[in-house]
Amino acid sequence: MEKKFDDDMLVCRCEEITVGEIRQAIEEGAVDVVGVKRRTRAGMGLCQGKTCEKMVQQILAQELCIGPEQTGSSSIRPPVRPITFGTLAGGVK
Amino acid sequence: MKSYDVVVIGGGVMGTSTAYQLSKRGYSVAIIEQDDIASGTASHTDGATLISDKQPGIDVLQGYHSVELYRKLSQEFSYDIEFSSCGFMYVCETDQEMAAAAEYAAKVRAQGFEMRVIDPKEMGEREKYLAKDLKGGLWTESDGLVNPYKVCFGFVEEARKYGLDVYTKHEVKGIKLGPKNQVEAVITDRGTFLTKKVVNACGVWAPFIGNMVGLSIPIEPRKGMLLVTEKAETIAHTEVLEFGYWLAKFFADFKRPVSELVEKHNVCLNIETTHSGNTVVGGCRLFRGYDLKSEYEIMQAIAERAIRFFPVLKDMNCIRTFSGLRPFCLDHLPIVSGVDEVPGFYIAAGHEGDGIALAPITGLLISQIIAGEKTEFDATELGWNRFKGMDMAKLAEHPH
Repeated sequence: MEKKFDDDMLVCRCEEITVGEIRQAIEEGAVDVVGVKRRTRAGMGLCQGKTCEKMVQQILAQELCIGPEQTGSSSIRPPVRPITFGTLAGGVK
Repeated sequence: MKSYDVVVIGGGVMGTSTAYQLSKRGYSVAIIEQDDIASGTASHTDGATLISDKQPGIDVLQGYHSVELYRKLSQEFSYDIEFSSCGFMYVCETDQEMAAAAEYAAKVRAQGFEMRVIDPKEMGEREKYLAKDLKGGLWTESDGLVNPYKVCFGFVEEARKYGLDVYTKHEVKGIKLGPKNQVEAVITDRGTFLTKKVVNACGVWAPFIGNMVGLSIPIEPRKGMLLVTEKAETIAHTEVLEFGYWLAKFFADFKRPVSELVEKHNVCLNIETTHSGNTVVGGCRLFRGYDLKSEYEIMQAIAERAIRFFPVLKDMNCIRTFSGLRPFCLDHLPIVSGVDEVPGFYIAAGHEGDGIALAPITGLLISQIIAGEKTEFDATELGWNRFKGMDMAKLAEHPH
């Protein structure tokens, strides 16, 4: 396992969540990506975890001494990328 | 082997509220949860805490007590549950809706609760992004909002101060009963917990736990879908719901002036802007079993309906959609009760779309029932005995 990340390093850029906040969530009982998300908002922003999920998995794996595949992933929900309500509604005026 | 005064099954909003009240009273309590705290319905919903979407009678009464409890708990808790007393607005699209709304508000006031008719001018002052062509609405000052999953974490954090133990990723496999059919232990995939009292706070999963002690609990999952916007300035300053939905629900021949798509899925507007700056928009109520898929047609219909009332949304981004399962109980009232035929077995489930709003009062009532105290108000109507004499197995199969 590689060297541990610093607590003040930013993980989720959309919601500005740091490594330390994610460690705190794990201490409070989070054992997977969704548990971290709900306790910190990491992955709830504009990119929906596209940027930070791998990193959250890595922190979980380090802290809980488990394999990355045991850390789960966020549920996949549409839309794949942001879409305006107007477009979604089919061009409603 | 571990032993507790009370084992609460379910780490959602009912289970955590119940565990908080019981721990505070000095009981040794464990929560047993198959996944994580707030991993089910409590984290797949909005945060409305209203009396205004309830039926006059015990429904409004328990809503009132619950909202007042939120007000108190949010002051006491060191954990921020993001309670906001933002008020609640029903909006009316037609004169027919407006007339029916005024009649409904009068009934609620007759029961001693506040709810008044407001004109489009006041609506516009409270909600600057609301469509300008609406006929009027209803206003309830005391209603508000919470963050639904933070409420669960809050209850757990506070209860831990009184000694609560939490066992997540523990799946209940059975409940051991004694010779008099009384509760003796909860068996999980990771060990057995001795206890004489069990609270089934499993929402849409409550029937599975009920089956373990021979009960058919008439609860069925009802799916609700929500859309989330990108972060922006506050779009909805209060909690807003369209009144037409009420009429469509209770009067079969009432038709709203809506598109085929909105009509087909019976989509009605509910909207709130959360502390994070995202706006959450719904909604619908569908029977789809335990399926949680986001359905494309319904996403379209919700977006269309949302733009009708908040035109500003047209150019705003939707970043996510999600669904939650509401525990629909066949007579539209929750079950908050002991069970005579299984001593030591209690049920706190079946709140459909009102679980977040009603969790504080449900936890308090169940703790009073377990302690053998007088309840906050007469809760007989929420009792298990109301189903006596009904063919429960048949009802559970065809609740709607």
